[in-house]
Amino acid sequence: MNVCGYIPESINEGQGLRAVLFVSGCRHACAGCFNVESWDFEAGEPFTEEMSAAILQDIIDNPLLDGLTLCGGDPFFSPEECTAFVRKLRNLCPAKNIWAYTGFTFEALMRQPKLRELAELCDVIVDGKFEEERKDVSLPFRGSSNQRLVDVAASLKRGVTVEYVLR
Amino acid sequence: MKVMKRDGCLVSFEISRIVEAVDKAFIAVEGASRKEAALHIGDEVAHATEGMEQVSVEEIQDIVVEHLQSSGYPEVAATYQHYRESRDLERMRRGELYKISRDVIGVSNLDLLRENANLNGESFSGKMSRIGSEYAKWMASKFILPTDLMKSVKDGYVYVHDLDQYALGTTNCIFIPFDRLLAKGFNTGNGSVRPPQSIMTAMALVAIIFQSQQNSQFGGVSGNKIDWDLAPYVGKSFRRHFRKGLVYFAQEDQGEPRSNERVLTDDKLYIDNEQLKETYPHIYHYAYNETVNEVKQAAESLIHNLNTMSSRAGGQIPFTSLNYGMCTSTEGRMVSHALLDATMKGLGGGETPIFPQHIFQCKQGVNQAEGEPNYDLLLKAVECSSRRLYPNFVNVDASFNLVYYNPDDPNTIIATMGCRTRTISDRFGRNRLSGKGNLSFNTINLVRLGIEHGIIEGKRNLPDLSRFYEQLDQYMTIAVEGLIHRYELQAEQPAKASDFMMREGVWEGGEALAPEDKVRELIKHGTLALGFIGLGECLKALTGLHHGEDENSRSLGIEIISHMRQFCNEASERYDLNITLFATPAEGLSGKFTKLDRHTFGVIEGVTDREYYTNSFHIPVYYPMPAYRKIQAEAPFHELCNAGAISYVELDGNARQNTTAFRDIVQFALQQNIGYFSVNHPVDRCPACNYEGIIGSVCPGCGALETAGNFQRLRRVTGYLTGNYTERFNSAKQAEVRDRVKHL
Repeated sequence: MNVCGYIPESINEGQGLRAVLFVSGCRHACAGCFNVESWDFEAGEPFTEEMSAAILQDIIDNPLLDGLTLCGGDPFFSPEECTAFVRKLRNLCPAKNIWAYTGFTFEALMRQPKLRELAELCDVIVDGKFEEERKDVSLPFRGSSNQRLVDVAASLKRGVTVEYVLR
Repeated sequence: MKVMKRDGCLVSFEISRIVEAVDKAFIAVEGASRKEAALHIGDEVAHATEGMEQVSVEEIQDIVVEHLQSSGYPEVAATYQHYRESRDLERMRRGELYKISRDVIGVSNLDLLRENANLNGESFSGKMSRIGSEYAKWMASKFILPTDLMKSVKDGYVYVHDLDQYALGTTNCIFIPFDRLLAKGFNTGNGSVRPPQSIMTAMALVAIIFQSQQNSQFGGVSGNKIDWDLAPYVGKSFRRHFRKGLVYFAQEDQGEPRSNERVLTDDKLYIDNEQLKETYPHIYHYAYNETVNEVKQAAESLIHNLNTMSSRAGGQIPFTSLNYGMCTSTEGRMVSHALLDATMKGLGGGETPIFPQHIFQCKQGVNQAEGEPNYDLLLKAVECSSRRLYPNFVNVDASFNLVYYNPDDPNTIIATMGCRTRTISDRFGRNRLSGKGNLSFNTINLVRLGIEHGIIEGKRNLPDLSRFYEQLDQYMTIAVEGLIHRYELQAEQPAKASDFMMREGVWEGGEALAPEDKVRELIKHGTLALGFIGLGECLKALTGLHHGEDENSRSLGIEIISHMRQFCNEASERYDLNITLFATPAEGLSGKFTKLDRHTFGVIEGVTDREYYTNSFHIPVYYPMPAYRKIQAEAPFHELCNAGAISYVELDGNARQNTTAFRDIVQFALQQNIGYFSVNHPVDRCPACNYEGIIGSVCPGCGALETAGNFQRLRRVTGYLTGNYTERFNSAKQAEVRDRVKHL
């Protein structure tokens, strides 16, 4: 797996202050995508053990962080590597939360075991393709109005997709 | 015989120079040389001045004119005279004063006009004010400043702030006792004003008091506890509305109109009176709603007033600040809510109000956690700041502020002047805010000392710290002696010079002075501040690394600033005055030292290679660093700078959509014992569709392009906001804004 960006602190990809990792590779090809260069699975650099360890250390050290956001690309095109990384973070910092962005709908993630495994490790998933004609800059943490902030725990518990309510 | 020229030089008398000049006048009038007549005039001059030891050029010229006229050459005399006048003019044109005025009038020197980001230096009144101020600076530096200080200023070691006010003896800034002024009424000089009977009037008078006061001094005007000051007038409004309600709705509540009106004395008519609410539900409901509406309208009009009364010389709006957030009474909370709501709503077009600067006073147990009485106000303050860049957050719990805090006296809650100035402590016992302020600042250029004694130029392998401290002490001595010199000018002023401030007791005790009385005994309660700029570049020059890059450099930085604080403490003892250490904001100063230093030392990477020096002890704005580390790195300096300091974090993104992160950052800073804190983030506005947030080259709201969009970009400078920064910031400050890296 390659990654094409890492921001140690951001306020733009989810609630609170978050570390953001951009995972290379996406096949959704949404028109109007903000990050076309990241579609290439070879974009950026390999996500090595060292990099993984350094990012985990960064997150542990930073008392202000609420958690990590996986962005892309689409992390759900690299589910195994992402799952391994998120699992490590979960073990090291149980108090931090995880957000992930994907072009798949939450329902689609639930149908595929490997994707579901990664999804279940997340707290919030911002789902759905970016639809240019439904672009709305007033929506927090989303590009278009079809995209949802999905509350993963509540959705799993109730068996239906439950949207996350921003505090 | 010697001739004294206009510049004071003495030269020997030479008759040929006079003959030559007179002959030129003959040639001009008669078309031909008249050597003989010219020689004759020359002889006359020699004769008239015979026996004198010294004669001035003017005297010689007078004699020439006189003899030309008496010898029957009036036209030649006129031509000679004209030539002389045009030479005078030419000489004046070469002079500094003329250059100053020409630069101002002709807008050829933009940095001169933009020295102050809130003054429109390109307007008529702005130019008028600048001409006056440039003249006063010239006057002060040529004739008033102590020689040592003048030399240090010229050599780029020291900066005298507000030099244009030096000779006059004007004082800087003040915290206004609004409670007292409103309760007793006041006189603006043109008429007296009765105490207000409603919150609407009270807030209108707040604007008038600000306006009257700011002409008594040159710096900021601040309300240090405006929620407490205004709460009684919310109460008065409630009583009025309630009594009106009694007239109209008594039947609904009582069946017997007005029968109880007499019994309802003032002491029973207050918002929190539950019994009142139960007995008169309709009337109470009416009075309550009317009061809330009135407070809201009053706050909106206050904020409009503070942005529209460009009464200050040069079309400037007074530098106003309002501190609040601690008053937990229903009335006081209404004031705070209304001020925040009005600021979020914005001005007429929805735009961000530039004034007043809002400062939210943070205290655990009052407004820091769920369940505390004013926690809702903190959340609202965070929301407001995420949209409007205000309020900033001042830390009542910081160890160095908490020692002064007395829960029974709101006048001991720490507050700031918008720029950061802190004046709470007083060796003469007035350890409270209102009724005093800062008197003046002088700032030390740490960078120049760093270059001279550091390793950056390759002259040595280790910084020469003993020479560095020696020189630092030398310049601090000059700067502090300068403050004392200026203080003497200020202290000798009669009360009538600062008029409103003394007459109305805005400066505590002023009301007891006669117009001719000296203000000395009162202004000693104010502070004199020694400031510093460019610690980051100084450390880089000394050691090769600044305090963001290296922990040892940071320790050295703390050591240097501790040394400066110690110097101030000792100077306070020596002079028996409040001499304090100030984290100088870089406005006006931004760029001045840099130009001088670059001229002396050339471009040094990381030191003089930018157009500005970094604000006080801040980590250089271009250096990328996580927010928490910047906060931790800067925190220890706050305690040292007892004249005030601020720390910023730069947010990259639309902060209004993530107030959780915003609040967490603010509270983290407070926990680190930071005294005063704020978050910078881009607030751009598209006038076409009113979109507010981050605008790149295209408006995300309506797709307007930068070229057509004329987007307004609001940024902060020295703690205050300024309109469109590309128009109002000086070039050094613009460069600094371009370089600011976001910490997130």
